[in-house]
Amino acid sequence: MEQAENNRTVTASDTASDTRASLRQGILDEIRGLKRFSNRGLFALSLFLFVSTLASRNFPLLPRPDKIVASLGPPPTAQIISLVLILYTFSAIILSLCRMMAGMRHKSSFCHVGYLSVFYFFYYLADGLGDNYWAVFGAGFTILLMESYRIWTFCNDTINKKNEQLAYLERTGRLPAEDSTSEY
Amino acid sequence: MFDRIAGRALVPVGIVVTGFLIVCFVLLYSAIKTVVIKDSVGHANNLAGIILKSTRYAMLKSDRELNSAIVQNISQQKGVEHVRIFSKTGVVAFSSDAGEINRQVDKKAEGCILCHAKNQPITTLGNMEKARSFKNSLGEDVLAITTPIYNEPECSDAACHVHPASQKVLGTLDIGLSQEATISSLSSIRGEMVLFSLLTLILTTAGVIALLKMIVLQPMRKLQEYTERSESDSNLEHPHNLPYELDKIARSYYFIRNKLAEAEHQSVKTGTNLQ
Repeated sequence: MEQAENNRTVTASDTASDTRASLRQGILDEIRGLKRFSNRGLFALSLFLFVSTLASRNFPLLPRPDKIVASLGPPPTAQIISLVLILYTFSAIILSLCRMMAGMRHKSSFCHVGYLSVFYFFYYLADGLGDNYWAVFGAGFTILLMESYRIWTFCNDTINKKNEQLAYLERTGRLPAEDSTSEY
Repeated sequence: MFDRIAGRALVPVGIVVTGFLIVCFVLLYSAIKTVVIKDSVGHANNLAGIILKSTRYAMLKSDRELNSAIVQNISQQKGVEHVRIFSKTGVVAFSSDAGEINRQVDKKAEGCILCHAKNQPITTLGNMEKARSFKNSLGEDVLAITTPIYNEPECSDAACHVHPASQKVLGTLDIGLSQEATISSLSSIRGEMVLFSLLTLILTTAGVIALLKMIVLQPMRKLQEYTERSESDSNLEHPHNLPYELDKIARSYYFIRNKLAEAEHQSVKTGTNLQ
């Protein structure tokens, strides 16, 4: 009887220890994931710089604009592209600021590189890349820098929170009540 | 820097304002440049039209001397780089530079290729298509307009030198204008825009810093000093004139501090009574 009671105590203690270990591992995995995620903005910025380098050399790998225009039809004028670029930059910055205020986890950086490449491409077709290159570069650099900053601060804050959870777990063997589920 | 309120608030504001200002500056300058260049091309086209009207009578009369005088006089005007009139075969008939007269021009040369790219040359061009820009031997920017001289009933019916009515273009006029004034205007516009952008940037950043300091940082410092000083002086009054949120924190802290002091006092009293 006493032996069975001892066995039950040992089993309960093992289960608690397993739960703590799995919770600990879960938090450590999340911290590792967040550290990886925090570099996402910088990777997007690097990709954008690469595309910008190609654009500054007038896209040496693409066919000449007149050939593309002959097959696809005329592009919008440089003025219309500039107007859309202004609208896009404004909305992208506002969106990024809203996400920053809301503390949202959002992986939007790489799609911005796509949009900006399209702007470079349209200016290339409309023969306005020389005059408007720095506008697209400035817009891209601003948006991606903001996104990098947003992602980086979000990850830093969440990592700090996770470290606090880890310390609480080590102390008490359970997660703090309000943070027992992931918030993002 | 990034763990302080000032750093966290100012970095995004700095990035957003600077970046958006640069984008707007480049696009606005590009739009202004397009308008100014279109305007100078329009003026150059008008000037080419004036030259054609001026030489029309002399051409009808086939007066080479009068034509040469008109071309020479116009080329002496400030800002006019060159004036040439080509015959249908591409030979320079009249020119501001006497050395060019009777010289054959290659149809593949810049300014000619646009119309002569195909076997059948193009006879009508838009204003912007007639224009080309290049640097002359002195390294100055030149805007040149090549405009066709069309056959008119008076030309084909003239008794002196009849052109067949089927010939649509009799020759071309090529006029080069110095771009110095345009480039100088653009440079002045660019300088003013850079100055205004910098002033806007400084004003925005200074405004944000001033407001942030006045509304957030100074009250925060007051609150911080209060919490630090109250550790050694439990009777310290909480600071007044704080913004609503910080005032609530200060009052809560004051309340907790008093409760703690009371509890400490109570426990000391109980300990003394027990002894």
